[in-house]
Amino acid sequence: MTALPPTPAGFASNVRGALGDVQLRRALRQATSLFATRRLAAMTSVADWEGARTRARAIKDETLRHLDRYLEQFVASAERAGARVHWAVDGEEACAIVAGIARARGARTVVKSKSMATEEIHLNAALAREGLEPVETDLGEYIIQLAGETPSHIVVPAIHKTRAQIAALFAEKLAAGGADDVASLTATARRTLRERFADADIGITGVNFAVAETGTILILENEGNARLTMTLPRTHVALMGIEKVIPRLADLEVFLQLLPRSATGQPLTAYQSLITGAGGGVDGEGPAELHIVLLDNGRSRMLAHPVTRQSLACIRCGACLNACPVYQQIGGHAYGSVYPGPIGAVITPQLVGLARSSELPYASSLCGACREVCPVKIDIPALLLHLRSEVVAADARGPRRGERLAFRAYTAVMARPWAYRLVTRFARAVQHFFRVGETVGRRGIAQRIVPALGAWTAWRDLRPLAPRSFREEWKVRRRRGGPPEGGSA
Amino acid sequence: MTARDSRRIILDAIREHLAAGDAHEHAPHDGSSPRAPHGSLPVIAPDAVALLPTADMADLPAFFVARAEAVGGRCTRVRGAAGAALAVRAILADADARLVVSSGAPLVDHALGEPADPWRVRSAAELSRSDLFACDAGVTTAQWGIAETGTLVLESARERSRLASLVPPLHIALLSTRCIRATLGDVLAAVDPTLDGAITLITGPSRTSDIELTLAIGVHGPQSLHVVLIDDDSDANPGDFT
Repeated sequence: MTALPPTPAGFASNVRGALGDVQLRRALRQATSLFATRRLAAMTSVADWEGARTRARAIKDETLRHLDRYLEQFVASAERAGARVHWAVDGEEACAIVAGIARARGARTVVKSKSMATEEIHLNAALAREGLEPVETDLGEYIIQLAGETPSHIVVPAIHKTRAQIAALFAEKLAAGGADDVASLTATARRTLRERFADADIGITGVNFAVAETGTILILENEGNARLTMTLPRTHVALMGIEKVIPRLADLEVFLQLLPRSATGQPLTAYQSLITGAGGGVDGEGPAELHIVLLDNGRSRMLAHPVTRQSLACIRCGACLNACPVYQQIGGHAYGSVYPGPIGAVITPQLVGLARSSELPYASSLCGACREVCPVKIDIPALLLHLRSEVVAADARGPRRGERLAFRAYTAVMARPWAYRLVTRFARAVQHFFRVGETVGRRGIAQRIVPALGAWTAWRDLRPLAPRSFREEWKVRRRRGGPPEGGSA
Repeated sequence: MTARDSRRIILDAIREHLAAGDAHEHAPHDGSSPRAPHGSLPVIAPDAVALLPTADMADLPAFFVARAEAVGGRCTRVRGAAGAALAVRAILADADARLVVSSGAPLVDHALGEPADPWRVRSAAELSRSDLFACDAGVTTAQWGIAETGTLVLESARERSRLASLVPPLHIALLSTRCIRATLGDVLAAVDPTLDGAITLITGPSRTSDIELTLAIGVHGPQSLHVVLIDDDSDANPGDFT
């Protein structure tokens, strides 16, 4: 029923498929414009939004610059509070750690709340090899898990599916009645998932922030499924990227002002859980054990350059997706990665390598909208350019002599007025000779002049040169003695 | 499992790559201070970012009520423990509750302690999981309120409120108006996570927009959240819930 999941390497063909999907594009238009509008409204309740962004970024920069020490401080605090901390160099090791925890406890059922890190390392597939079937409990994630699909948006993962499709899916997989109103569908999911929660042995969550001074992990959500996931099962496993750490509890305030407002336009999501150590203590209600798995998986490498280092400041709000004119048209699947949109176009290549994602840094018009909305001021266009330069440098065909020569000639002409005049005069003569002006709209000029740049000229064209340049026109009118046309009399 | 020391590998990689990054002369996107010498951590000073000043923020309980109701919560303001008991009973009767779970806080047990009531009350400490799933309502206290967002703050060390506030379709929370603070920052300065295994912030009922961006209330947590705000009366001390 379902095709192979898209990969970042197949970006060009993924895009063609997405652009032809009318339903997807309608849903994307609704979601991205709704979240963007709500975000703008929510921003106004923060007196100094710009100050909040600057401060949040300063905290992230400071933490990243001393990441080794803040991580060690976090680990010491978390262990003191009773958590067990595991270090995973890559996704494979993280999966092995989680599988090992499940095996040692004889776990049969696993519930999960939404976590991008677990999707990044394909944890569900790894646990399936152990004979375990983790159940996604976030409503959107549950829907796409039932459908065997992947998320199309990081905040609303099943936005590409209609009510009717979800009703049909629930009827097929859950023997639901087939009512397709949102309240009935939500109630069906609540009822079905409660059975899974009731007998789950292990609950797996991600982490939004980890506080170094107290060893606290913070998880944000709206549905309550993450709270159930980390309260009901005996064992709670939290997977976090090493970049999630922040120095102090007080630092949470600015991030909680920025994250929900940027993601959904809410002043605060319905629930924030601050978990410190194993919760089986005084109240006797929480899980008996808490395992925190620290994941590197290519993150430490991003520290090696000031431009790439800022990728680690991302708090996964999704604002750049909603603002991006490319994402708005193609949606999340086309990026072939758990991280879509502008931030995905810079993170995915750094995680999986440019060899397998060389087209992603080009999935942008460099308009800068992502940088404008980013709550932690990540300069995504600068990152895209940085990665593009790496793509070019790594090109197996070697340095492109022709391209370099062409740009050198272009520079020489544009920097010298006399050369520019000479060349345009010559070009105009050529244009006149080939009668280009009469063929506009039929076959591109650029394509006729430089057919070798097929991919580039297939969608772009040059305007024909005007018969006279502005300067020449000006000179002629001055000579006639009259005021320039259109000027005041 | 391999015997490799992943902790060492990751920390070494971080240090190596940080050094490489710092070697780049220009760091135009990074305004942080230079890497500090070994020893105490460099911690930048706390510096709260202001929310919009609001005229009626002076009346914190009123502000809390406005914000909580804006996100779908319901609020009742009463005087003293006796007022709270009356309000809780009225809400439970209105919801036609049959089985109610108590967090075990003295104020909650006081409010629920009327044997003539048509509902059965069970303590969260003695409920099995399947009984918990059958409850119609959960009653807890909240240790703090945040006025700017209409948020309840529940500390796990005080009572068994984690599941009572989450699993039943109706959550009734008792909040002393003396415990309402203006901002999240004020509350973060007052709590100590090292003493509380779980601190839960609750703003409105459970919600989702995952299907066609249509808001649905009560997907996994409570469909209804009812806050009973308690003003002091002369002889009781409702702020001291434990």
